[in-house]
Amino acid sequence: MSSPAFEIPPKGGFSFDLCRRNEMIAKKGVNPPSFRKTGTTIVGLIFQDGVILGADTRATEGPIVCDKNCEKIHYMAPNIYCCGAGTAADTEAVTDMVSSQLQLHRYHTGRESRVVTALTLLKRHLFNYQGYVQAALVLGGVDCTGPHLHTIYPHGSTDTLPFATMGSGSLAAMAVFESKYREGLTRDEGVQLVSEAICSGVFNDLGSGSNVDVCVITKGHKEYLRNHLLPNPRTYVSSKGFSFPKKTEVLLTKITPLKEKVVVIEGGDAMEE
Amino acid sequence: MEAPKPIQHEIGGIQKDALRFGLNGVKSDLVGSHPLEIAYESARKNHEEMKKRILANTYGSAFPLKMDMDRQILSRFQRPPGAIPSSMLGLEAMTGRLENFGFEDYLNDPQQSETFKPPNVHHGMEVRLGLSKGPVCPSFI
Repeated sequence: MSSPAFEIPPKGGFSFDLCRRNEMIAKKGVNPPSFRKTGTTIVGLIFQDGVILGADTRATEGPIVCDKNCEKIHYMAPNIYCCGAGTAADTEAVTDMVSSQLQLHRYHTGRESRVVTALTLLKRHLFNYQGYVQAALVLGGVDCTGPHLHTIYPHGSTDTLPFATMGSGSLAAMAVFESKYREGLTRDEGVQLVSEAICSGVFNDLGSGSNVDVCVITKGHKEYLRNHLLPNPRTYVSSKGFSFPKKTEVLLTKITPLKEKVVVIEGGDAMEE
Repeated sequence: MEAPKPIQHEIGGIQKDALRFGLNGVKSDLVGSHPLEIAYESARKNHEEMKKRILANTYGSAFPLKMDMDRQILSRFQRPPGAIPSSMLGLEAMTGRLENFGFEDYLNDPQQSETFKPPNVHHGMEVRLGLSKGPVCPSFI
């Protein structure tokens, strides 16, 4: 085949330019910074007329809590929401991208998105990247075929379950679900059970903490209960505030005026039109 | 527009850059810089092959051949090399990428790269006509 004289303009996406350099540097003994440990509790269950999703709100960065009230329930479509565990940037990027794809698909077909469409888009994307996109998701929604709940693992495998948990607190949350879940829960019982499962993750898993977010999706209606429970309020705030008796000392003041390096010539060398 | 003897040129940027891609070696050329890179590329290629085979089985072998011809025509329908890249609207409509939205559409856009050099119109046209060597746009992604 002859080489084409017309090349298609290059596209962005993942760049592997520096992999070889990094590998070489690692071989010389300079190790790259390691991954930060992540932790989350996200859950979902199917109740009598829809799906309830729940999440904690702690974002960790290794041993540090870097956000005490973050959002882990992401919007996918008006009738579909998705909880994300794993690297926060990856879960957010993947859910945002798939929600854009679903919106394009809705414009194209003029119908409500189905949960399986979102599921297929997500798992295809994650499988293509072979687990390097670290997103473990709980996808829930109600479409014309009824309520659906799926879990998606970072490598692209999926499960379809009546109740599901993900993240480091999944064991604690699953223990609650397995002992108390039954079919045909009412809305209030479902919300109660989901908050209980999240609270068990919050109190028994170090990677999860702070508040409880809940999202209730029913046919044609959704209810996002941000900070549904606040089990960890700030215990003590000084009523007087904090005062610092000694002000910051100024040791030296020296102002260097900026030199104008660019010379602007007005009117000279006008552009030809 | 095909020149009688097209000069070989490197497509998709300069490949022989020791500082960026390491010294040339048979193994590293075969293996690639990252396991994901090969998996991703081969998955994409397999997917296209499979699509073609399905079309051939459904509509007869002439159909994918005709689509391939259309693809070649549409991939040549481009702006002259310059500040604005071709949108490749026709090609994207045919391949179905127009209705898709992926990482390549919003992450690491080559136009916004730090090392982006705007292509030279004259050089770009010479490359297209087969008079000159080298990629149209000598920038890295």
